Amino acid sequence: MAGIHDLGGSPGAGSIDKSQHETEDWEHLADAVTVVLDKKGIKTTDEHRRAQESLDPERYKSLGYYERWVAATEILLVEKGVLTREEIDKKVAELEESP
Amino acid sequence: MTARFDPGDPVRVRPEDRRGHIRTPSYVKGKTGQIETGLGAFKDPESLAYGGSGLPDKHLYKVAFRQKDLWDGYAGSPDDTLYIDIYEHWLDPA
Repeated sequence: MAGIHDLGGSPGAGSIDKSQHETEDWEHLADAVTVVLDKKGIKTTDEHRRAQESLDPERYKSLGYYERWVAATEILLVEKGVLTREEIDKKVAELEESP
Repeated sequence: MTARFDPGDPVRVRPEDRRGHIRTPSYVKGKTGQIETGLGAFKDPESLAYGGSGLPDKHLYKVAFRQKDLWDGYAGSPDDTLYIDIYEHWLDPA
């Protein structure tokens, strides 16, 4: 069956939400980190797309464009042994605690 | 590696339903269109997506479909056309 990303022509999919927002700082950072990982040869665009497509369908639908990028980058960093899930969770907890 | 198809050739998209990083959208699978032009050969994203080499290169084509052939009850002009890039291994002669 088609993945969650393969929506074209799906019954009831509705029209595309074309609303825009000002790009936020974290979105620039998400873009920059992802591009640098490509330039360093750590991952490819195709792997990044595959990782996005592997997200749980409900989560995929709930995330915005760059939120999907971040989620996919996290998957690939763990997959390639650059970071562990524990290291990421620990850092997130630290950031959430800092004022 | 020689391109299998030339502009004007009728082609049918393979109706394969398989997992993986597939660049061929579901709505054209099993549908018949026509080669508009060859776009060159590129590394295979289905392999690159899993850390593979992407080799051998796969020919990519711009394929034209009549919208009325894609959508049941299409109410627009019968000449309305959709162009989409499809890799050679997804195409059979029609």
